[in-house]
Amino acid sequence: MTPSPAVSTSVHLGSLTLKNPVMTASGTFGSGKQYADFIDLSALGALVTKGVSLEPWSGNSGVRVYETPSGMLNSIGLQNPGVEAFIADDLAWLREHAPDATVIVNVSGHTRDEYVQVIERLAQEDGIAAYEVNISCPNVDRGGLAFGTDPDSAAAITRACKEAAARGDGASTAARAKRPVIVKLSPNVTDIAEIARACEDAGADALALINTILGTAINIQKRTMVFERTVAGLSGPAIKPVALRMVWQVARAVSIPLVGMGGIATPDDAIEFLLAGATAVAVGTGNFIDPTLTVRCIERIEEYAAEQGFSAVEDMIGALERRDIP
Amino acid sequence: MYEPVEVVSNEAVAADVYRLRLRAPQTAPLVRGGQFVHLRLNRHAAHTPLLRRPLSVCQVYGDELLIMYAVVGTGTEVLAGKAVGDTSMDIIGPLGSCWPIEEDVRTPLIVGGGLGIAPLGMLAHAFRDRGINVKIIQAAQTAERLIVREAHERVKRDIVFATDDGTCGYHGIVTDLVREALAERAEGAERTGDTAEAATMFDVAYVCGPEPMQKAVSEVLLQAGVRTYVSFERRMACGVGACLGCTVPTIDGLKRACADGPVFAAEEVCFDDAIASRVH
Repeated sequence: MTPSPAVSTSVHLGSLTLKNPVMTASGTFGSGKQYADFIDLSALGALVTKGVSLEPWSGNSGVRVYETPSGMLNSIGLQNPGVEAFIADDLAWLREHAPDATVIVNVSGHTRDEYVQVIERLAQEDGIAAYEVNISCPNVDRGGLAFGTDPDSAAAITRACKEAAARGDGASTAARAKRPVIVKLSPNVTDIAEIARACEDAGADALALINTILGTAINIQKRTMVFERTVAGLSGPAIKPVALRMVWQVARAVSIPLVGMGGIATPDDAIEFLLAGATAVAVGTGNFIDPTLTVRCIERIEEYAAEQGFSAVEDMIGALERRDIP
Repeated sequence: MYEPVEVVSNEAVAADVYRLRLRAPQTAPLVRGGQFVHLRLNRHAAHTPLLRRPLSVCQVYGDELLIMYAVVGTGTEVLAGKAVGDTSMDIIGPLGSCWPIEEDVRTPLIVGGGLGIAPLGMLAHAFRDRGINVKIIQAAQTAERLIVREAHERVKRDIVFATDDGTCGYHGIVTDLVREALAERAEGAERTGDTAEAATMFDVAYVCGPEPMQKAVSEVLLQAGVRTYVSFERRMACGVGACLGCTVPTIDGLKRACADGPVFAAEEVCFDDAIASRVH
C-alpha cells in the first residue's frame, strides 16, 4: 500500500519537533557515523549518541557482550572519550556529514555536578537538538543506576540538568537554552511510575524508557560469573514485553511525552510502543541485527497510520481501543 | 554493504571444521585479505541466535566467498546445518582492517595456527599474484586439522607444518619452527655476505591463531626485529564499531576488534590483558 501523503509523521518532545517518531537508542548506534554506510542519518526522527561524560571513561574490563536467548547482556561500562573529544570528533563529524540529522546527546556522570558540567559544555555547541540524561546505566559503579532508582535522586539530577540546559554557559543562544531534557529511566525499580512522576515534577521535558534490565550469566565449566562486574544489562527482543508494559504504565502516570524502547526488532514492535502511549520509539539492539531497521520502522509506521485512517502519527499515540471488562 | 547470500556448499573437512562457500556477488569484489563478514543466520525469523556472527573470509572466487569455520557454539551449529541452496542468511561487510602490504615487501612470513590460517588465505594469494615468494608456517593439533594444506602443496609453496601430535611435519610447537626459520634466514644473510640483512631476513610477518600462540610467535618475531601483524577474534554485537563490545587492549588504550582491527600491529597489543578478556 502506498503511504497516503496526507499522513503527518512529525511528533513533539517538548519544544523539539521530530520529523518522525523513530530514534536510535544510546549506546547501540555509536555517534551515527558507524551506520552512515547503511542509512541516511537525516531520515531518522533523531539520532541519540553513545553516553558522554566529563572525562574519558575506559569502560569495563573482561567480557563485554554475551548472547542470551532472544537477547544479549552487555557490560560496556559507558566507555567514551569524554565531552571534549566528543565535540571535537563525533559532533564535528555529524555537523559536517549529517547537517540535517537531529542529534540528541546522551549525558552520563558519576556525580550530579559532572552531569551539569557536561551539559554546560554542550550548551556552547551547535548541532544538538536535545539532551538525554542517563540515570539508568547498570554497568557503572558510581552514578548511573544509583540516581535512577530513588525518586528524590532522580528529581535532583533532573532539576540540576534542566537548570544547566536553560542556563548554558551564559553565552548560549536562546535556541540552545531551549533544548529539551529527556530523562532515561531504569526498569530495575519496584515502581517505575513513581520515578517517572518525580522526574516530571522536577521539570523533565520527556522521559525515555527502558534502559537495560539487570541480568547475569555463569560459565559452568569454570564455575565463574561471566562478567567481571557480575551483573550486566539485558536487551533485545527478550525484554520487549516488560518494556511495553512499563511504557503503558508510565504513560498513565505522567503527561509529558515518552520515548519507548526495549527489544524493538520489527516495525510492528515499534507500532506497539506508540499504541502503548509512547510519542517516539528507539531502536537499540535491533540495529546490530538489521542496520536498516530504523528506516523500515519509519516507512511502516507511516503506512500503518494510513491503513488505520490516522491523518497524523501523533494521533496514534496511546490510541488503544477500550477493552470492556465484564 | 548489506547482501542476502546463497549457500553454494557447506561441507565438513575435519571433525567440526567446515568449508562454506557463499554466493555474494556485491560483497565479494570488495573483500581484502584479513577482513570479515557479519553473518545473520536467519533473516526471516528466529531471535535465537539473535546476533550476527563475524566470519573471516579465507578466499574470494569470482562472486563467491570461501569461509572456514569450526563448530564451537550455537551459531556455528546452526550454520553447519545450512544446506546447499539455502537463501535464509545475509551478510554485512566486508568489515574491519586488512593485512597491510607495504610497497617494498620482499620476504614476507605467514604463520597460521589451527583455523587461524584461514584469514591469511587471501594474503598468501596476493603475494603469489605479485610474484613475491612467501614463507608459510602452518600448525594445528593434528594432520587432519591442517586445513587448506592440499591447496598450499598444490602450488609448491615454501611451507612447513607442525602438529601437536606429530601426524604431519614437525612434532611440536609452532614457535620452534619460527625460531628455526629466523635462524636459517640469518645464516643465509651471513653466507651471501649481503650487507643488507633484509635481502633474506623476513621483512614482515603475519600471524593468526589462538591468542597465546599469537603472543608467543609475536614475541619471537619482534625480538628478531621483524615487523609483525596479528588478528583478533572476538564475540561481537554490532560489528561496525558502534557498541564497543569487542575491544582489544593496546598500548594506546582499548581498540575495537571489528573496526580498528581485527588486524593489529603486534607491538601495540597488550596480549596478556587481551587473553584475559576472552570468553570461552
